[in-house]
Amino acid sequence: MTIWSAIITSTGQESFGGFPRDSYITYALWAAFFGRVGANWMYEFRMIEEIESGSINSILVRPISFYEYYLSQFMGYKLATTLFSFAVPIVATLFIDSPTIHSRLPLAVAVQILYLILVHTMSFTVATLSFFLTRVHGFTVAKNIALTLLTGELFPLDLVPEPFRSWILWLPFSNSVFVPVGYLTGRLGIEDVARGILSILIGLAFFGAIAAASWRAGCRRYSGTGA
Amino acid sequence: MLMKPNYSSENVIETDGLTRIFLTYKKGEGLWNSIRGFWNREYLRKVALQPTTLKIQGGQIIGLVGANGAGKTTLLKLLSGLIHPSGGDARVLGYRPWERKPEFLRKISILLGQKNQLWWDIPPADSYDLLARIYDLDEAEARRRVNELAELLQCRELLHVQLRRLSLGERMKMEIIGSLLHRPSVLFLDEPTIGLDIVAQTNIREFLSEYVKRERPTIILTSHYMDDISLLADRLLLISKGAIVYDGTVPDFMNSVEQMQRLTATLAQPPSEARELAPGLILDPGTEVFTAELPASQIAPTLQKLMALSPLKDLKIEEADFEDVIRKFLEKESRLRASGGPIAT
Amino acid sequence: MKKYFRVFAAIFKASAISDLEYRLNFIVKIGTDLIWYGTQVAIFEVLFHHTRSISGWTIESTRVFMAVLFLVDALWMMLFSESLERMSDKVRRGDLDLLLVKPISSQFMMSVQKMSPAYVANVFLILGWLIWALNQLPDFSAWSRLPLLIITIPCALIITYALRFFFSATALIFTRAENITYVWHQVYRLATRPDTIYPPWLRYTVLTFLPLGFVGSVPARLILETPDTVLLSACVFVAVVCLYASHRYWNFALRFYSSASS
Repeated sequence: MTIWSAIITSTGQESFGGFPRDSYITYALWAAFFGRVGANWMYEFRMIEEIESGSINSILVRPISFYEYYLSQFMGYKLATTLFSFAVPIVATLFIDSPTIHSRLPLAVAVQILYLILVHTMSFTVATLSFFLTRVHGFTVAKNIALTLLTGELFPLDLVPEPFRSWILWLPFSNSVFVPVGYLTGRLGIEDVARGILSILIGLAFFGAIAAASWRAGCRRYSGTGA
Repeated sequence: MLMKPNYSSENVIETDGLTRIFLTYKKGEGLWNSIRGFWNREYLRKVALQPTTLKIQGGQIIGLVGANGAGKTTLLKLLSGLIHPSGGDARVLGYRPWERKPEFLRKISILLGQKNQLWWDIPPADSYDLLARIYDLDEAEARRRVNELAELLQCRELLHVQLRRLSLGERMKMEIIGSLLHRPSVLFLDEPTIGLDIVAQTNIREFLSEYVKRERPTIILTSHYMDDISLLADRLLLISKGAIVYDGTVPDFMNSVEQMQRLTATLAQPPSEARELAPGLILDPGTEVFTAELPASQIAPTLQKLMALSPLKDLKIEEADFEDVIRKFLEKESRLRASGGPIAT
Repeated sequence: MKKYFRVFAAIFKASAISDLEYRLNFIVKIGTDLIWYGTQVAIFEVLFHHTRSISGWTIESTRVFMAVLFLVDALWMMLFSESLERMSDKVRRGDLDLLLVKPISSQFMMSVQKMSPAYVANVFLILGWLIWALNQLPDFSAWSRLPLLIITIPCALIITYALRFFFSATALIFTRAENITYVWHQVYRLATRPDTIYPPWLRYTVLTFLPLGFVGSVPARLILETPDTVLLSACVFVAVVCLYASHRYWNFALRFYSSASS
């Protein structure tokens, strides 16, 4: 947030990238929370641990798939933390005069929740790599750092010059922060949200296919070595 | 070879009323008590080592034996300088251990059976190279030393294999080389054979025995395997609830405790009525196999009475072993100390 | 002193052997940091696409700032990061005991016990980026001040080390300290922006109590702006104070450790 206030005080321009200055402070505030909710560290590490240590066996014998088992845990955890953590920006934006359109909050959160299924699917894909490689944790870090940029947590993605802008916006990752926060703060309209949902669905199909293939190959290998 | 320690010659380790007390806080059950405990903690004093005065002569192996939590590791950590005492004083090689002077640290070594000091991902030889620099050893000399020790432990071919590819027993051999590299004059060995199979245990025991003959270091050894102690230790220290309850040689200890023996006799004609064989020892009617644990002095009279009653089909008399004796002794001590009874030293 | 260099060299060599052992991990390590550098570069490239200057910094001078910051970061990752990150773990597992009985500074051993020579690749990449960034500057006077980096980079490294060490050593006092790494990363973010963009109170903080401004901003300004001996001496002074404070803090924490551990 400091960088936005610095830009505001030092550039002396009324608007920045076509939007008024105070919209950036609001964006940064919401982005911090949406970004936090949209990132998966803990459950991805746990899934990797399960496969690496072999404790996955105790889940494999239960009548629920590994994917669903962790999806339910992850979603439960995220819903709980979402409710709590969003109290801060909601209260803040109610009291401070900011360009937040609160009536858009339910749809923004809904997009985020749909995106979380994709987050879990990606984490699951990373975790299945543990069947083939050791020390997969490094991938999680690399992936999550790259995502801070691609989700729009660091800055609104519409500031990115073309042609990168169109590329990034068609990737599903922008639905974590840029699409919901942009919609919430008036940068984006309903048509952008519709495009976002479509890109999540495409992303789900894409990563789902990779995850399924990787899981099947991994299980074959796993039972093959009897580890 | 086993003699009573001779206190007149130079002592390598001396302690005077050395004490260690831990404060732990009492954790209440449930959330509310935890919250209360956050501000207002009730501390419990746990005496890990009661005032201990000891003199240990150079060139001896001291076997330190006690149940888990009896204070063995506390004593070991105090003497190696890892922790500060709560009271009393100690000198090891003339130094106060917890001041951790480099000259002192250069002369001691500690081996913790459950921890690695060598690097996991690289061959032991490279780890030794690092240790040699830490201890300011001459490189060529250090290499000679490694080879010599590896020869004794019969593991020269493993020096250039990564540590993680070695078995537990092989790793322990490597750890031992690492801890002996700088020719320590005092060596603290905490469970050097823990978790090893019988063959590896025997190897390490033989090595230590050979090594002591060659270099005469002072060794403080703790082990859960009583064979380690009975075969290696010149002097036995039994520790129970933070206090030394026995100090002497292993044979003296075995003699001092009245030996129990187990008598098992199979009678050809079981008696038809109850007979008293010794005060309090009753032979019930119809007993075919009679078993009793008796003090050694009672075995012969009891046997005579039995044979007068019936011919014997089978007879077995077993010695209780060192481990049994120690276990019984410590159990008794622990009960006595818990009830505030007399303390045997 | 000579002994410490010899031990340092031996650990560096041993770490290199162990890094080469895990090839994939080696690549992922380097890659992760490059991605992080990429995100930082992207932020400023995108922002300066819409404005000429932010608090006196232009895109050209900011690139030099980032080059210096990344250079310190890469050296940090190579030499100290892994050891300090593992420190609380090592303490909890009791590995500290084995270091304490060695005739060498335990702070030193704790701080360098595992290096990551793999990052040397990043150091070279960043040096390339620094040369490119300096070439983009409107005038060439910065080149003449480049040797100052020989003083300022080690100082920046020492300051980063001391601050991080302060966080890690706290693990000795509070035996459970899993969140310390997270808190550190949040604090370290203060170093990743030029100090002049901060509001006065925050700028004052990063130049005094929490001297993260000396990690990237001050060394960069010393080569970008006209020579400033006060700033240069401040840099050296702060580094010395930080190092000394870290040493005192370690001894304090050790007393805690040896009177509380069982």
